Amino acid sequence: MKNKIVLLLICVLLACGCSNYRELDELAIITAIAIDKSGDEYELSFLIANSPKAQTSSKEGEATTTVFSGKGKTLTEAANSVDSKCPKTLYYGHINAAIISEEIAREGFLEIADWLLRSPETRKQFYLMQAKDTEAKDILKIVEPLEATPSQSISSLIESNINSQSITTTISYSPFIEKVLEKGYDPILPSISISGKVKKGSSETNLEKTEPAGYLKLDDTAIFREDKFVGYVGRTDSQSINILNDSVSEIKIDFKYDDNDVVFTSDNIKTTITNESFNHFKVKVKGSGFVSEVNGKIALEDPSVVKKLEKKLEATLDKQLNKTLDKLQNEYKSDVVGFGNRLYGTYPKRWDKIENQWNDEYYPKLKVEISSDLAIESSGSLNRTIEEVRS
Amino acid sequence: MKKINKSVSSVIKQIKNLYGNSGDLNTRVININGTCVGVLFMESSSGPGDISDRIIKSTYFVTDGDVYNNLYNHLKNNIFNAQVLTTNNFDDFSYYLSSGFTIIVVDGVSEAIVMETRAELDRGVTESTSEPILRGPKDSFTESHAKNLGLVRKRIKDPNLWFDEVKVGRRTETRVSIAYLNGVADKKTVNDIKKILDDIDIDGILDSGNIKEYLLQDKSVFPQILSTERPDLVCQSILNGKIALIVENTPFVLILPNVFVDFMHTSEDQYQKPLNISFTRMLKVMALIVTLFTPAIYIAITTFDQTAVPDKLLISLAVQRSGVPFPTFFEIILLMIIFEILREGDIRSPSNMGTSMSIVGALVLGQAAVDAGIVSPIAVIVIAITSICSLIFNDVDFMNGIRAWRFIFILAATFFGLIGLVAAGIVWLLKLSSLDSFGVPFMAPFSPLIKSSQKDAVVRYPLPKIFKRPLYLNNVDEIKQGGINEK
Repeated sequence: MKNKIVLLLICVLLACGCSNYRELDELAIITAIAIDKSGDEYELSFLIANSPKAQTSSKEGEATTTVFSGKGKTLTEAANSVDSKCPKTLYYGHINAAIISEEIAREGFLEIADWLLRSPETRKQFYLMQAKDTEAKDILKIVEPLEATPSQSISSLIESNINSQSITTTISYSPFIEKVLEKGYDPILPSISISGKVKKGSSETNLEKTEPAGYLKLDDTAIFREDKFVGYVGRTDSQSINILNDSVSEIKIDFKYDDNDVVFTSDNIKTTITNESFNHFKVKVKGSGFVSEVNGKIALEDPSVVKKLEKKLEATLDKQLNKTLDKLQNEYKSDVVGFGNRLYGTYPKRWDKIENQWNDEYYPKLKVEISSDLAIESSGSLNRTIEEVRS
Repeated sequence: MKKINKSVSSVIKQIKNLYGNSGDLNTRVININGTCVGVLFMESSSGPGDISDRIIKSTYFVTDGDVYNNLYNHLKNNIFNAQVLTTNNFDDFSYYLSSGFTIIVVDGVSEAIVMETRAELDRGVTESTSEPILRGPKDSFTESHAKNLGLVRKRIKDPNLWFDEVKVGRRTETRVSIAYLNGVADKKTVNDIKKILDDIDIDGILDSGNIKEYLLQDKSVFPQILSTERPDLVCQSILNGKIALIVENTPFVLILPNVFVDFMHTSEDQYQKPLNISFTRMLKVMALIVTLFTPAIYIAITTFDQTAVPDKLLISLAVQRSGVPFPTFFEIILLMIIFEILREGDIRSPSNMGTSMSIVGALVLGQAAVDAGIVSPIAVIVIAITSICSLIFNDVDFMNGIRAWRFIFILAATFFGLIGLVAAGIVWLLKLSSLDSFGVPFMAPFSPLIKSSQKDAVVRYPLPKIFKRPLYLNNVDEIKQGGINEK
């Protein structure tokens, strides 16, 4: 009996044949993909991270990247055409960024969203970006300085910006799709562009120069309506959108006080949106921070001056937010803050009736009252301004 | 029982026949006032010199005429020796002779005097070589049974420290002393052990390792009996209610019953600061996990579950792997076997060859193999971590048990990836939990969970806070320290 069980076990071991066994060195690890459209066909480009440097032994552990592209009527067809060019098995498990071209964004992203979402191997948490003023595949080709593994440059560019500035946005794949599908919500995407020359930036010599010929830059924020791209907004507007979405970690607001430039920095901005009635919202921005830059003569140690500064700061922020909201409501008709979603939550029946006209008719007429309450708690490491001390 | 012949010359003849005229058998016949006295001893195992001197001396200065009429009784009472026995059984002769005793037979008496004249055939009490410690008593057991018993006895002066003696082995007649605290240790376990030892019917026992196999006949690769050459560890165990088997002619004393955590403890644990020792013990638990699972996890994540690896690490691994001609599994097994051979070779080779061995090992394994592209650098790192972590345990059997399971985990990971590894890990835990030795579950005090015994398991409480002996040992007396009710 026992022998039979052992025999059976051996058979099981041999028969299973290591179904998903694959050696690491036979994989082409894709760390980023780019989707372009040329004519009727999709062009899919993969950034493959683990091509070892030529003429070195394996111990050095250095990798260079390679970009493979392929075309096809469907994304699968395009991927297959890449597969036939690449000497290793394509491995989708470690994609950390996907870049789509403006054209695809304009035509609607949902058409191609299925492919990546359906594959069991891919992570759904990679960053999604839109290429601005360039083809998406060119983004992959840039060899970035300052990064040990070039394949990581795109995602590290995004990650470094998340915390420090709040002037761009970051979104990963599945939250983006969720936002598209959610009622009364329109998504935004960060856009990425190339500064300098693509040709030179994509060669290895880019690394050897003190001033690289081409590098990647996080650019304007792309505003979507449903899954279709409608336009870009600049840094200030992106910042406003982030404030409205209550997704800022650190923020810098510059404003003028008596012709002097003052920069206010805060890391605890909190935004609450309350629904007053069906077409009336109140937005409250609260936070405290410090003065991080003063160019001029302001008596910062005087409490009454600080009070005035706060007033001015609040007025500046209110104005900035209102301006952005106006742009979103009237120019793009894109509800990226999700007012519609809040209405859907509180008035589900009335929402059902107006759902189809929301973006075009009701959203632009929506009354949004913005009030901010900001406190300047300290003036950084300096008590007085340098100008003041000099005089 | 065979009676002793009354004639000295025929007794000598019998003995000579028994030993086949072995050269080291010394038989001397002394004629004292017309009575023949035979002195028998083994030159090889007895102390030299004054054996026969003592007999003559003990009769020489006596002028009383009666002495010569009752020579036997006189000798018995006057021999200058601490240990003088008598026997009337001829069968005992060979045991006494081989043990180094001197036998005196007197014409016309069917009894013999046995006198202790053992030679010092051991190396004296030295420092322990297999279990070195930084702080604590440095002495270790030796090959001398009496010395070994003495090393324990001088530490525990309570008369309740009992040594039950059993002789094992038809030909070797090895003395085995079962040492325990009467009134503390579980009497049933003592009797069980005694019964097992009595039932052994083998020609010879040469080391306590032989006895180990009779005590627990399970198929587990993990040892359940601790063997140590540290008297202080033996005394700690005895005080805790455990039982020690001190076997003649070996410095390794067996301690039982044992649980899994005992193999992570050293005697030194009790002599250092409890907080630091708790940290050290946690390190050991970590090392155990690392040494068991690292190669298997490496295989699983590089050949099946690449998704579980962070991006940068995966790319680095992939680049290192490229150009290596062998599958990962083969690479790991190759390195592990080479390391095991190296380790075995290092133990066996004389110490002056050890250096050349390690140089060759380090160069061949570490540098040249990577440079030649036979193995990847990360595989060398994996094996290095694994082997270093396995060296933290000083019980050889335990180390080898870990090694066996490591191979099982590697196989599971090779065929089924992380899922197989987890499954094998569960099987491992089940196997361990199902073991017990003399009624003590091997995984105690964790399974079953005994709260009060956690005080000296993975963490160690300060000694003044440990009031009870380990509860899982079924001790008769559980109180280790007074004052349990006051605090």
